[in-house]
Amino acid sequence: MTRPFSGRKDGLSLSEALPDRSLFMLVAMMGFLAALALAGASGARALSARWSGGAAQLLTIQVPEADTPLPTPNDTSTTRVQAVLADLASLPDGAQVHRLTPPELARLLEPWLGETDNTALPLPAIIRVRLPPDTSVPDTLEQALNAHVPGTIVEHNARWGERLRALANSLLACAGLALLSVGGIATMITGLATRTGLATRKDIIKTLHGLGASDSYIAGRFAWRTATLGFGGGLSGTLAACLPLLLLLQMAAPFASTPLATTERLLPVDWQALANTIPSDMALALALLPFVAAFICWFTTQVMVRLWLLRLP
Amino acid sequence: MIHLDNVSWRRGKKDSAPVLAHLSFMVPQGGFRWLLGPSGAGKSSLLSLLHLENLPTDGQMTILGKTVTQEEKRAALVRLRQRIGMVHQDYQLMPDLSVADNVALPLRLQNRPEDEIQDEVHAILKWVGLGSRTDVPANRLSGGEQQRTAIARAIIHRPGLILADEPTNALEESQSCRLLDMFAELSAMGTTVVVATHNESLVRRLERPFLFLEHGRLVDDGGEQP
Ligand SMILES: Nc1ncnc2c1ncn2[C@@H]1O[C@H](COP(=O)(O)OP(=O)(O)OP(=O)(O)O)[C@@H](O)[C@H]1O
Ligand SMILES: [Mg+2]
Repeated sequence: MTRPFSGRKDGLSLSEALPDRSLFMLVAMMGFLAALALAGASGARALSARWSGGAAQLLTIQVPEADTPLPTPNDTSTTRVQAVLADLASLPDGAQVHRLTPPELARLLEPWLGETDNTALPLPAIIRVRLPPDTSVPDTLEQALNAHVPGTIVEHNARWGERLRALANSLLACAGLALLSVGGIATMITGLATRTGLATRKDIIKTLHGLGASDSYIAGRFAWRTATLGFGGGLSGTLAACLPLLLLLQMAAPFASTPLATTERLLPVDWQALANTIPSDMALALALLPFVAAFICWFTTQVMVRLWLLRLP
Repeated sequence: MIHLDNVSWRRGKKDSAPVLAHLSFMVPQGGFRWLLGPSGAGKSSLLSLLHLENLPTDGQMTILGKTVTQEEKRAALVRLRQRIGMVHQDYQLMPDLSVADNVALPLRLQNRPEDEIQDEVHAILKWVGLGSRTDVPANRLSGGEQQRTAIARAIIHRPGLILADEPTNALEESQSCRLLDMFAELSAMGTTVVVATHNESLVRRLERPFLFLEHGRLVDDGGEQP
């Protein structure tokens, strides 16, 4: 019985020819950075969406001395807040107008005033207006209300929303640029590693070529090797980024749409609950990251090796 | 079948002196040619041209019935190379691979089934006298063992054309004789064989037409006109 010899070997020995550990480590670092950038992009996108959606359509109106009767020419007993509410009836159809009840007001003020009895304080009336999507109020609303009920303040969230959205969008652009840079660097690193591998295996490649190995065979061998390293590196980098990401996520939780139960603690205890707060688009992007890293490595190597092989007929 | 018509080859630049100039000769299918000439005459260069490691800069070259030009599709060249067996002057073995893995390469590149490969490899290694050295890495072989490994690798896939560059310079007399007998046999069975050598006693042993090179030019074309 003859001993079967050592598998399907072709002498390229790429595990030795390609600087494994450095490529793996560098791709892992790139993966780490990419994961953070992705998380940033996802967060910025969520913020932007939030501010361009619901929050921007909110209007807060303060009416000081709400229950004082409005001195009107025909001297009917209308309070100032009633007058404002009546004026707000002219808002676009579908606008929801709600005057905060005393308990709601108390809850709103609790962080500042504590759980004391606030009835003694001259609190203004707060009216919350939610506009239907794609509608806006005339810029003259505050003027008009003021002319009728002096001292009325209109706080338009959209103004802040615009700014925050611009901020979120620029953050998104930064994250995109960071991702592009990371991809570019990963391509260059892979290119350099491939070049080293080609240089150390030059004679062997020539011999293989002479024996009738096709370009796709040789390029495929190299590309498979770097893609494996890229996948491993990308996976490690992504996993390494998960801990800081979860911490960040937890800190950001109060600003997110689904608040976290354990906001007081810094270190997460309920990993399950925490994992549930990861936005699905971010989770998907993170899961794809190792595959993208593998593809970048595979593609770069294919191109490099095939170009190199063109020097042999 | 080999047919060269006014073939020249330069290394590198267009204006450099040609290493091979205006070669015209033909070797029929199953023909055997000695390739002779002083050192530096261009024997290895001609063999690397026939092996398609380089393509002619001028003229027309036909290998195994296929006319090869500079514009030839790479895939076509790959298929053609797989039908050629070459023993290089410097053997060109894979240093990290065992003798058996080295010899198996041409079959593996053709995706032949592994058990078939194993049988063929062991048979041929036995024939070249390396039956007990199958698992030794090539970089731990003696010169003669390396040469026999290279020979086994060049013939294992039964190529239509065998090119051998000084295939006996590291072999014992008896091994050279066996190799020569085998080349003669393969040629009789229809394989075209070209062997470059300095060894005159070898040439005398097997009387066949020869191509004689000097300064990259053909001085004697072996008698067969294209
Ligand atoms: N790598 C190289 N770079 C530049 N010139 C080379 C190279 N290899 C060979 N030459 C030159 O090409 C010419 C032909 O060399 P070649 O190796 O074909 O000769 P040869 O007939 O095989 O010689 P030998 O019998 O010593 O093996 C020689 O003049 C040689 O100096
Ligand atoms: Mg030579």
